[in-house]
Amino acid sequence: MTKMKKTSQICQSKLPDNTALKQQQLPAYRLQLSATGVLSGFFATGAFCLGVGIILILSAKSIKEIEIKYTKICANCAELREDAINFDKECTCSIPFYLSETMQGNVYLYYKLYGFYQNLYRYILSRSNSQLVGTDLKDVGNCAPFSKSHNGTPIAPCGAIANSIFNDTIILSYNLNSSIHMEVPMLRSGITWWTDKYVKFRNPSAINLSSAFTGTAKPPYWSKPVYELDLEDTENNGFLNDDFIVWMRTAAFPTFKKLYRRLNRVQYFIEGLPAGNYSFNITYNFPVTRFKGEKSVVLSTLTWSGGSSLFLGLTYTVTGAVTWLAAFSMMAIHLMLKEKRTLFIQR
Amino acid sequence: MDCSLVRTLVHRYCAGEENCVDSRTIYVGHREPPPGAEAYIPQRHPDNRIVSSKYTFWNFIPKNLFEQFRRIANFYFLIIFLVQLIIDTPTSPVTSGLPLFFVITVTAIKQGYEDWLRHKADNAMNQCPVHFIQHGKLVRKQSRKLRVGDIVMVKEDETFPCDLIFLSSSRGDGTCHVTTASLDGESSHKTHYAVQDTKGFHTEEDIDGLHATIECEQPQPDLYKFVGRINVYSDRNDPVVRPLGSENLLLRGATLKNTEKIFGVAIYTGMETKMALNYQSKSQKRSAVEKSMNVFLIVYLCILVSKALINTILKYVWQSEPFRDEPWYNHKTESERQRNLITLARPEGNAKCQIFVVLVMGRGNHAGLSQFLRAFTDFLAFMVLFNYIIPVSMYVTVEMQKFLGSYFITWDEDMFDEDTGEGPLVNTSDLNEELGQVEYVFTDKTGTLTENNMEFKECCIEGHVYVPHAVCNGQVLPNASGIDMIDSSPGAGAREREELFFRALCLCHTIQVKDDDDVDGPRKSPDSGKSCVYISSSPDEVALVEGIQRLGFTYLRLKENYMEILNRENGVERFELLEILSFDSVRRRMSVIVRSATGEIYLFCKGADSSIFPRVIEGKVDQIRSRVERNAVEGLRTLCVAYKRLIPEEYEGVCTLLQAAKVALQDREKKLAEAYEQIEKDLILLGATAVEDRLQEKAADTIEALQKAGIKVWVLTGDKMETAAATCYACKLFRRNTQLLELTTKKIEEQSLHDVLFELSKTVLRHSGSLTRDNFSGLSADMQDHGLIIDGAALSLIMKPREDGSCGNYRELFLEICRNCSAVLCCRMAPLQKAQIVKLIKLSKEHPITLAIGDGANDVSMILEAHVGIGVIGKEGRQAARNSDYAIPKFKHLKKMLLVHGHLYYIRISELVQYFFYKNVCFIFPQFLYQFFCGFSQQTLYDTAYLTLYNISFTSLPILLYSLMEQHVSIDTLRRDPSLYRDIAKNALLRWRVFIYWTFLGVFDALVFFFGAYFMFENTTVTSNGQIFGNWTFGTLVFTVMVFTVTLKLALDTHYWTWINHFVIWGSLLFYVVFSLLWGGIIWPFLSYQRMYFVFIQMLSSGPAWLVIILLITVSLLPDVLKKVLCRQLWPSATEKVQSTRVHGQSRLPELTLLACRRSSSPWATWPGPHAKQEPLSWPPLSSLPHSHSVPVPHGGTTGGQAISPDL
Repeated sequence: MTKMKKTSQICQSKLPDNTALKQQQLPAYRLQLSATGVLSGFFATGAFCLGVGIILILSAKSIKEIEIKYTKICANCAELREDAINFDKECTCSIPFYLSETMQGNVYLYYKLYGFYQNLYRYILSRSNSQLVGTDLKDVGNCAPFSKSHNGTPIAPCGAIANSIFNDTIILSYNLNSSIHMEVPMLRSGITWWTDKYVKFRNPSAINLSSAFTGTAKPPYWSKPVYELDLEDTENNGFLNDDFIVWMRTAAFPTFKKLYRRLNRVQYFIEGLPAGNYSFNITYNFPVTRFKGEKSVVLSTLTWSGGSSLFLGLTYTVTGAVTWLAAFSMMAIHLMLKEKRTLFIQR
Repeated sequence: MDCSLVRTLVHRYCAGEENCVDSRTIYVGHREPPPGAEAYIPQRHPDNRIVSSKYTFWNFIPKNLFEQFRRIANFYFLIIFLVQLIIDTPTSPVTSGLPLFFVITVTAIKQGYEDWLRHKADNAMNQCPVHFIQHGKLVRKQSRKLRVGDIVMVKEDETFPCDLIFLSSSRGDGTCHVTTASLDGESSHKTHYAVQDTKGFHTEEDIDGLHATIECEQPQPDLYKFVGRINVYSDRNDPVVRPLGSENLLLRGATLKNTEKIFGVAIYTGMETKMALNYQSKSQKRSAVEKSMNVFLIVYLCILVSKALINTILKYVWQSEPFRDEPWYNHKTESERQRNLITLARPEGNAKCQIFVVLVMGRGNHAGLSQFLRAFTDFLAFMVLFNYIIPVSMYVTVEMQKFLGSYFITWDEDMFDEDTGEGPLVNTSDLNEELGQVEYVFTDKTGTLTENNMEFKECCIEGHVYVPHAVCNGQVLPNASGIDMIDSSPGAGAREREELFFRALCLCHTIQVKDDDDVDGPRKSPDSGKSCVYISSSPDEVALVEGIQRLGFTYLRLKENYMEILNRENGVERFELLEILSFDSVRRRMSVIVRSATGEIYLFCKGADSSIFPRVIEGKVDQIRSRVERNAVEGLRTLCVAYKRLIPEEYEGVCTLLQAAKVALQDREKKLAEAYEQIEKDLILLGATAVEDRLQEKAADTIEALQKAGIKVWVLTGDKMETAAATCYACKLFRRNTQLLELTTKKIEEQSLHDVLFELSKTVLRHSGSLTRDNFSGLSADMQDHGLIIDGAALSLIMKPREDGSCGNYRELFLEICRNCSAVLCCRMAPLQKAQIVKLIKLSKEHPITLAIGDGANDVSMILEAHVGIGVIGKEGRQAARNSDYAIPKFKHLKKMLLVHGHLYYIRISELVQYFFYKNVCFIFPQFLYQFFCGFSQQTLYDTAYLTLYNISFTSLPILLYSLMEQHVSIDTLRRDPSLYRDIAKNALLRWRVFIYWTFLGVFDALVFFFGAYFMFENTTVTSNGQIFGNWTFGTLVFTVMVFTVTLKLALDTHYWTWINHFVIWGSLLFYVVFSLLWGGIIWPFLSYQRMYFVFIQMLSSGPAWLVIILLITVSLLPDVLKKVLCRQLWPSATEKVQSTRVHGQSRLPELTLLACRRSSSPWATWPGPHAKQEPLSWPPLSSLPHSHSVPVPHGGTTGGQAISPDL
């Protein structure tokens, strides 16, 4: 303070500089909320919102989506999974359904979980990034209580997220007629972010995967070690397994769906999924009734604006409408006041 | 002997350091007094080291940290940081530690640098060489080695190294000249006097032989007060005792002038010098904005605590189901499990119940305690999670805004006075916005409203009026000297009186004659006498002596205690100056006692009429009184002159009386005043003088503008009522239709105080009943308004607590009257009474913001008392300017200071405060909502980097620059239209309503961000390639929408778009995008997690995300814009009207202002007006006054001023 006083005293010995900044006279544009400006702004915003909204609604209309909750349908399996002792007992379940309309274009297969909190604070932390990029398999720092097996070997991949991976197998079969049941060809690639698959997740370098993971244990809830996730495709094995990577991206809300497969558009399915009888053959492994949750499978097409739901389109339309309403009422008020003012001046 | 030694030791070490004795004894030159003299208790004194620095190298870090964490906000952030360190929290301690560390470091560096500068200055000062006398020889030593009792030699143009008693000087008459420019800013030379008995010691040897002790009071900070006495021992005789006063004391920091060298003895050294004691900082003033900011802060703290509490309780409710507490996929660790035992044991329990049970069970139950601890830890974790709602950066931004913003005042060209070369000074930057909140202005009259540039107008001797030609008709006629007698020529006896009067004025003063060249000997010729430069602390005296010079008598100089004057016949008359009974504001008069060449002893007394007339026993009192009153009505400053002849015996009596009072160590002031009272009586009235003090340029214009701005202006002056009232009319404080109410001693003598007060309040309230709020429409000229005149005596009656304890009664009544008066004039005020008035208003019911402005030392108390103190850098020294918060060169600058700078600062800082709370609600509320969707597990919504940088870099600069640059209305408009000031009165922009609006806007926006994004994620696949986004993308989406909304909201509020605003607003949005791209674009090797990797880029690569972002920004901005536009149309404030009229190119308001000006501008023309007739006070009509030129014409320059000049 005293210093400031001194300097300011020195400054005062002569006339202060006449710069625009110091005299607060910088050339400036003055933002005015004039009636015409505001009204035209409102009308423009309204028009834009209405336009976008209608386009979105129209495009959302073209989307086909089927969701089948199968917890209740496969009640016996669900009951079996209530108790962890039965973990090695296999349980399958078939869910037939009828597709009344063709699903045109790319079709995506999702699984959806209800009431599964992937966003719990401890849960999200419970992973080891240095393990997942393949640099240090022994680093299990944040993974407790899924960091080490009973004999002390580090678990790979460690942590609660990896341990609780969604392990149902969902196979969609197309019933061309009562005799021919064909499995719908599905792609398991391209369901993860490119960067996840090629940068963020790396297998430890070694001649083969099983040797790379020596000295580690499999997660307690897993039936097979990580290097046996996909024995057919080495690019899809170990930490690079697409299903694994998808699971590792934790969901924002307790109800979430994750991409499982996408339609391989060959043979019958070049146009998409034709109308007809289908069935899901599900190997039921993942217990949800224990946390009072549910699970479902979702088949969906997409447009440029993403998946189904009219939410975005409707909100845009409503916003546009409200903006126009506001603009009209403002205009009315404005005109009314103007009239009054002229009357006042005339008098 | 031993015994006494022990006793002194005990005294020294047990009775505290010192100061247990209220006086100190100094042995001059460290020579013990001869035995037999009183035994003094030796005291320890500090050495002459000046320590202005706060810290040393070693204690800097702990002491500085301690100082910084004493601020409540810093302490809060420290606690949050520590909690984050200790408990397992979702946000890393870095997020709050880093900003805190930054703030603390920057402040520490700044303070450290300032302290280093102080150290350097201290060292330079402590090491500069000083000349000592040691064993009769001159020795050079460092200043810091100086000790009390040392004899010091100071040469010309050197500053005194400590407080010295002036022993002798190289000048024969034992005087020296001193400037105290660096102490109090007064550059005039002041004369100090050596002690009578030591002024003969001219050489080192002589002075070494001096044997004396000095007794004086312990150091005290008042620069102008000193009481002490010196005992000089010579030849074993009884010591000679002499009084010592401030005229014998040379203060550290003052500079020796016009004197070759002096000797002095050090009495106060180092930190005990008066200069060092005056270093002590003044009490901190806090602005209203800061107070409301603190209140809002507490509200937000409550919100924070309740949020954390709600979440903690809900967490336990939610967890009461075991499948939620520990689902199979999220097992607890061992340590967690142990803490959890109790929860499992009572799964059905309601969490609230549990906590209650735990509290009841107390410490006996170990499990219960651990349960409670766990809940408490959870509570703390939630606190930490939401702590960003009160950001560190708010304090930093506010500080920076204030500090940088205050430079606009010092830089302002319009407030620079070219005549004096002075610009405004900002002594504190904490009160900038308070300038926009002022409701009461208390102004001094002399030197503030008026120029303090005195001009002698006339004198009246025994009823005959003398006017110097030179100033007649308002023009200065060159070479005109002589007397213009208005009345008939006086007789022979009168001529004797006349000359006595002139001599009295020539002698009765404390003026010095500045001798630039060292020419000795009197100036004989009258022409050269004319060119004498008189220096005095009182401009009245200079004006009088100069005026008398034109009437034929010239004061030449004071030489060896003889005053020389040049009479009309060019003969030099010499008077021996015997005593000066100096002026003080209580007595309001001064006297000199002189012995003429013929041996006659005269006492001349000069003072205010009220203090002279009661003491007069002879003279033409009535004639002079009527003239004085007439002059006073004209706004002239009047003084009366009286004399009495003393016979030698009387003089002896006077001498002993004065001497006794002067040597007293206790209550010297009081004793002196009593002595003066006894001496100055039975006077013979000679005449009166009138001096004009011109109104300051644009004073009337300024006052008018302030009143239009809704500010009540009070004039507080020591002048008499008539003079002050005339000034008030001249500067338009009172208008022609102002009904004057009087609360003066005269009136109270007629009726009791009780009756007067009730009568006045009845008058006032009757009118205020019919007078509605229209008063605030800016056309108050048409309204009936009241002006109150009160004098000091009446005020002290009102303020005096009454015996029956109902003291508050009159005060309330008085305040009620004052509140309903548009202008109040308080005359005959003592300095402390001024402060009392300010305090009275300040502490009244509504707690209005007060501003005091003054230029003299007598205004300091009022300046310190008011919320904002403004000093006018005037002629009476810089004391007021030094003690003020802001100093301006002229009164007229107050207009720009309040109406423009104050208004803008207030607008800026209030937006800053509101916006900061708003943007942090936006920031944290989604985080709060997210807890409901993540099982109250304290999962953060945003990434750590976003949490940390949101307040520091993404949204900090736009608001800072807004708060520096914003001009919602142009500066010209603000100046032209003072009524705009009313729009922000009473803290209008920080009221609860506004605050709640902003908070709800924040909550609304937060709901829009969160649930907009939520529904989007819930129902839709956000991408067009079927891939799925996770929780970090969700957080980033919310965050992106938020950063854009919050910044665009500010952009919509910005009225003044300079390139800087464009740069920071678009720049910080761009920075956010670039940062996010970078942050997610690389795998950062130093991070243990990679959760943000490519999240932002993936989000932007999806079309629906863009659509959502645009939609949500629009939806959250729309209501605010709509509200603004509608409010503007339906209930526009004056400011908004001005903003829109400017658009239509037609300005209606300035016209109105002009009209109002014209109507109200000429109170003189019809004055005293119809209402004044009802009043007991009858003002003489102006037309009968002879000097019409004394009506001050406001200088043109404003629309109002130009419009009215033809009328006059």
